Amino acid sequence: MGLPAGIDSAVIDRLKDAAGPGGWTADQDLILPHLVEWRDQWTGSTPLLLMPQTTHQAQAILAICHQNRIAVTTQGGNTGLVGAQIPRGEILVSTRRMTAIRSIDPVDDAIIAEAGVVLTRVQDAAREAGKRFPLSLASEGSATIGGLISTNAGGVHVRRHGMMRAQVLGIEAVLPDGSLHAGLSSLRKDNTGYDLKQLLIGAEGTLGLVTAATLRMVSRPQVMAVAMLGLETPDQAVALLHRLEDATGAVAAFEVMNRTGVELAVRNTPSRDPFPDAWPWLALVEFEGSDAGLLARCEEALGAALEAGLAGDALLAQNETQAKAFWFLREEMSAGQKPEGAAAKHDVSVPVSKIPQFLAAADAVVNRLVPGARIVAFGHCSDGNIHYDVVQPAGMEPDAFRALAPALIEAVHDVTVGLDGSISAEHGIGISRRDEFIRREPPTHLALMRAIKTAFDPHGIMNPRVLL
Amino acid sequence: MKLLVPVKRVIDYNVKVRVKPDQTGVDLANVKMSMNPFCEIAVEEAVRLREKGAASEIVVVSIGPAQAQETIRTALAMGADRGILIQTDQDVEPLGVAKLLKAVVEAEAPGAVVMGKQAIDGDNNATGQMLAALLGWPQATFASAITITGDSAEVTREVDGGLQTLKVALPAVITADLRLNEPRFASLPNIMKAKKKPIDMKTPADFGVDVAPRLTVLKVTEPPKREGGAKVADAAELVGKLKEAGVI
Repeated sequence: MGLPAGIDSAVIDRLKDAAGPGGWTADQDLILPHLVEWRDQWTGSTPLLLMPQTTHQAQAILAICHQNRIAVTTQGGNTGLVGAQIPRGEILVSTRRMTAIRSIDPVDDAIIAEAGVVLTRVQDAAREAGKRFPLSLASEGSATIGGLISTNAGGVHVRRHGMMRAQVLGIEAVLPDGSLHAGLSSLRKDNTGYDLKQLLIGAEGTLGLVTAATLRMVSRPQVMAVAMLGLETPDQAVALLHRLEDATGAVAAFEVMNRTGVELAVRNTPSRDPFPDAWPWLALVEFEGSDAGLLARCEEALGAALEAGLAGDALLAQNETQAKAFWFLREEMSAGQKPEGAAAKHDVSVPVSKIPQFLAAADAVVNRLVPGARIVAFGHCSDGNIHYDVVQPAGMEPDAFRALAPALIEAVHDVTVGLDGSISAEHGIGISRRDEFIRREPPTHLALMRAIKTAFDPHGIMNPRVLL
Repeated sequence: MKLLVPVKRVIDYNVKVRVKPDQTGVDLANVKMSMNPFCEIAVEEAVRLREKGAASEIVVVSIGPAQAQETIRTALAMGADRGILIQTDQDVEPLGVAKLLKAVVEAEAPGAVVMGKQAIDGDNNATGQMLAALLGWPQATFASAITITGDSAEVTREVDGGLQTLKVALPAVITADLRLNEPRFASLPNIMKAKKKPIDMKTPADFGVDVAPRLTVLKVTEPPKREGGAKVADAAELVGKLKEAGVI
């Protein structure tokens, strides 16, 4: 897919015109924040940042790139964790100026938001309309709709409400040749041919630029309760999850954190371990429902779980401040690791029943390969998605650890695949998992994916280093 | 020594308060209600004083609607021993609350009243002071530390410019400031135990107190919307803008 090394300055001028006044910059100081991501794992480069404000401008930009075989990297809120949004010399197209909420309809339960709208704004808009947008994740204050769709983001409410894919009713996207996929439908049922929007969801920007989407809203729960439980083992977590769901039918989130993760978060962030005792595992459970008796049922279910020995201790938030404190600890699991040096991170999923087996096997592998490494295991127990992060041993040179990381990651992923799991549960492939993905994925799958890529993007201009 | 801790049910601190369209008050429909955060700090302090052996019994009292029982249960789950609800759907003003609390104090004869410095709904910061005046007791407000020795209490107060330490004779009214402590979480076994602790149901009439409002609310309005800021290129432009706005 020979892409020219240098871009004709006349073409650059046409791109600037297409983006309009205020829609581009070549000032590297202004571009810099778009070239680094928060974990500082990649630093990119680009000659030009384009920030279209309208779909029409985005179409004009991609049409020029298509005609001139110019490679493009697309970026939303720059919160991706696999490097897909960081350009390496390509033109960078950011959706940051496409920030309109075009409509909100509480009868259709649908909200049309442009790609650059930050997730919390969609959540707030739905709340204003008396509804709820049921996707929540740690980066929701920065992550944008376009990026959430392109990465099929997950988060903490997946078991009950599904991933981003489940929230998308329709998509408007600019295809790589500049033509428009106009699909802002709010239909729940539409069996007319291939469901093309599903290809764009999770495509990591390789098939086109998502410019807007119709998102579904759900009814707002009248009752919410947040509990924190202290556990001895992951087996207890899995048993507890099912016991609480059976007893209440209202488990919206069930997150776990191991001791090391809690300790690092408490040491390095303003979070607090809510228990007086140092439990090996904490489980954060959020219940949601609409009947007045739910709170009492939750209390009974938690009490019964304690009596059955499925948890050692349990706290129930008495107000929103306490609920937020529980969630804050969970959300600081990544930030807590940052000052501790280099880390090898895994975003794996296994069948829920195999979580304990995965943790035991992965821990054994890590202890063998890097004795003294600090394992921070946390995440979405309710859907089998564990963020299994290995922080370097204290006192080790970060580079020495980084040298060991590839073998470590390979071994942890071998454990995952051996348990019928996935090596990328919710973060995607991007750049960081690309080689491994291509090596592990069956050739027939890869062939189909490449055929789809060629059908959408014959010149291979969209996010060319990403995914395939 | 017995401690009396008044607690109030208010709109949860984290809820964005909305004014009713007719400007008669704030919208309470389907809004999450919780214990006033300063009351929570007072309950925590009372429980700690009992854990240190400085107190033997903690009685919590709330004045409000039937649902204020939930607020009392929260205090009982944190460690208080029993509750009193003076049930009324009237929005009772600080003076009415102080008169009712005085009546409760006379019935219960506590060694001290430990209470929040203010409730976050009305932000009056008046009830503790009024109660001390009505009782003729010493008061130590805005406490950030409390030590009880014998028949007196040493209270560190947060005042403008630093800390002031008072010694007050007991019985006294002590009001809690934000930094007095960090309240504990309620554990499930304690929540279940709290359901079995007694709550005495009373009404203002039982104490012969008239809680009819003395004040009339004319209008409730939202604070003015914050206008968007603007970036200036340099200090000179900033000074120019400030002069333009007439602030320097």
